[in-house]
Amino acid sequence: MRKLLLAVMIGLFVASGALAADGPIKIGFYNCLTGQNAFGGQLELEGAQLAVAEIPEVLGRKIELVVVDNKSDKVEAANAVTRLIERDRVNAIVGTYGSSLAMAGGEVAEVAGIPVMGTSCTNPLVTLNKKYYFRACFIDPFQGAGGATYAVKNLGFKKAALLTDIANDYSVGLSNFFKAAFVRLGGEIVSEMNYQSGDQDFTAQLTEIISKKPDIVFLPAYFAEGAVVLKQARELGATFIFMGGDAMDNPEVVTLGGEAVEGFLHTTFAYDPSMKDMNPVAQKFTDTWKAAHPDKDPNVNAALGYDACMLIVDAIKRAGSAEPDKIRDALEQTKDVPTVTGLTTMNATHDAEKELGIVEIRGGKKQFIGTVKPEV
Amino acid sequence: MNTKTRNLILNGLALAALVVFLYQAPGNLDRYKLRIINLIAINAILGLSLNLIYGMTGMFSLGHAGFMAIGAYVSALLILTAEQKTSMWILQPILPWLLNLHAPFVVSLIAAGLAAAFFGWLIALPVLRLGGDYLGIATLGFAEIIRILIVNLTPLTNGSLGLKGIPAHTDLWMSYGCLVAMLIFMTRLMSGNFGNVLRAVRDDEIAARTMGIDTFRTRVLAFTIGCFGGGVGGALMGNLITAIDPKMFMITQTYSLLMIVVVGGLGSITGSVIGAILVTTMLEWLRFVEEPITIGSLHISGIPGMRMVVFSMLLIAVIIFRREGIMGPREFSWSWFFPARKAEPEMKGGND
Repeated sequence: MRKLLLAVMIGLFVASGALAADGPIKIGFYNCLTGQNAFGGQLELEGAQLAVAEIPEVLGRKIELVVVDNKSDKVEAANAVTRLIERDRVNAIVGTYGSSLAMAGGEVAEVAGIPVMGTSCTNPLVTLNKKYYFRACFIDPFQGAGGATYAVKNLGFKKAALLTDIANDYSVGLSNFFKAAFVRLGGEIVSEMNYQSGDQDFTAQLTEIISKKPDIVFLPAYFAEGAVVLKQARELGATFIFMGGDAMDNPEVVTLGGEAVEGFLHTTFAYDPSMKDMNPVAQKFTDTWKAAHPDKDPNVNAALGYDACMLIVDAIKRAGSAEPDKIRDALEQTKDVPTVTGLTTMNATHDAEKELGIVEIRGGKKQFIGTVKPEV
Repeated sequence: MNTKTRNLILNGLALAALVVFLYQAPGNLDRYKLRIINLIAINAILGLSLNLIYGMTGMFSLGHAGFMAIGAYVSALLILTAEQKTSMWILQPILPWLLNLHAPFVVSLIAAGLAAAFFGWLIALPVLRLGGDYLGIATLGFAEIIRILIVNLTPLTNGSLGLKGIPAHTDLWMSYGCLVAMLIFMTRLMSGNFGNVLRAVRDDEIAARTMGIDTFRTRVLAFTIGCFGGGVGGALMGNLITAIDPKMFMITQTYSLLMIVVVGGLGSITGSVIGAILVTTMLEWLRFVEEPITIGSLHISGIPGMRMVVFSMLLIAVIIFRREGIMGPREFSWSWFFPARKAEPEMKGGND
């Protein structure tokens, strides 16, 4: 037994030594592959792997994706990024799901001067005053304003209620930005209720909201809790419409919520496998995904993982070099690059400017309704 | 040369070796290794402070993450500049008196420890009247209360958005300085009479009371000192990661400290340090099991989470083969390296 163990250990060391040979352009990938947010991180990884499989070479050098798990934990996120930079000597980094993790990792990359492309970290603070952090996603003020615009202009709603996960930075931020935009557009917030991540019973908050008779309830939840809220609301006889954010963009919502999620709206990136007129990049992505994973649909996390890698590859091509600083400069110049989630431009604060999509669940299926332009 | 002078010289040499190491490390090691070495010191400080409460005084406390949170927030709020604060409080404006509050790092560390100790003392007064598992449950509850207060007191703490952009003040000198101070303090404490009092309270409270020990006061004092360490450790951690939020200080944080204490050995100062080294380095070192591996023609793609499985198995092995932890209740001693010559006068008690 002991000998076998020893043999395996030696084998591992030899193998890890063989990997260290240089040559390829290394793109680091840190994300939540285990822990609380693993559902999002896994999808983003699968998206990123598709991207690297599709473009195996750039500037005549192989691209290698170095994957490191951050366990949905801030200390680990900072360690993971340090490891990618110091041990694996990556040229650029992609990641991560979860804004607070991105903040912890971002500080390390900033000091080391390695460009990072965020996947779905939507909080404004992630790229604030950062020279090396970019993101392939839009930010929460944009998304919140978009949701409010759709509710007021397209649906003609005047009274909204908020149901926020107070312990979740994403939820708190998004809720706040929706509220600000909704009020500015002439609407009224009739009720603001909170819950904590991990809660199971939302009937108290829902009863209070039902008594205020809103037209729409904004629910910026993660999908697991969101589905439970929707279920309990229908059981209590609520008739108003619910609207969520991009974190509800997960195929599991329908599985968990069943009948109750019918008519649920959410804002998201302008990509969904149910889209009618997909752009060519999205079409290609959907086809390769279906070929690689026939048993599950892609979602925005997968698309963003793919996009983030593609944006870095695009920057390397334009820079004509894989040096971190050159990649960074090229990333800053990103303009109208076609990606799965629409044309992408990096703005002055390093956030992607792209279209905002609206998805509705109809007949147990996600339906892409169209895009919306936030009026702030 | 008697044992005492020998130990003094050897301690001095060990300290000098540490200083040389810290002086040489930044030039010779990469930032990844430096970061892990730094984390070891912080985890050791946190482990020692929890060991004082649980291992040495026998109070099963699950509230350490809460005191870490207090320390981390107090320190961060004192260090951040006014502009940083205004740009971060995007939900509700920050309290005006807090905006211009500013202190140097060392002051903020001490303030962090004192704040955590104060809250620890407040909580200790009612809670330490409980014993055993009930104490664990009550301290767990208080830690959750602290975290939930931080989430909800947005004007004070920026709620669940947390704080970011904290300057990375925690360098090796800072963390190892604190660790050495903590080690000296703990060894003095435990080799003195107070250490015996603590052990007496742990082993048999009624017997200790019959001996005339005010057990409640002793327990409160030990708990408060432990909380001070927790606060300082939390502050160092915040200044290392440079971003903190309430989710960092969930019960899982306490469990990982508990792991350090139990693996190292309950009641052993050396044990906590060894536990911290082991837990911190193992989790990072084991990352190779998650990487894609090619052995000859066999290709195994990496499985995320695999290192947690391996790590858990290692922990189980430790618990099966050494139930009392690696060190048990024993301490490191220089006399390990010297064969006993005569009936040697062990340094016990130490009433100087």
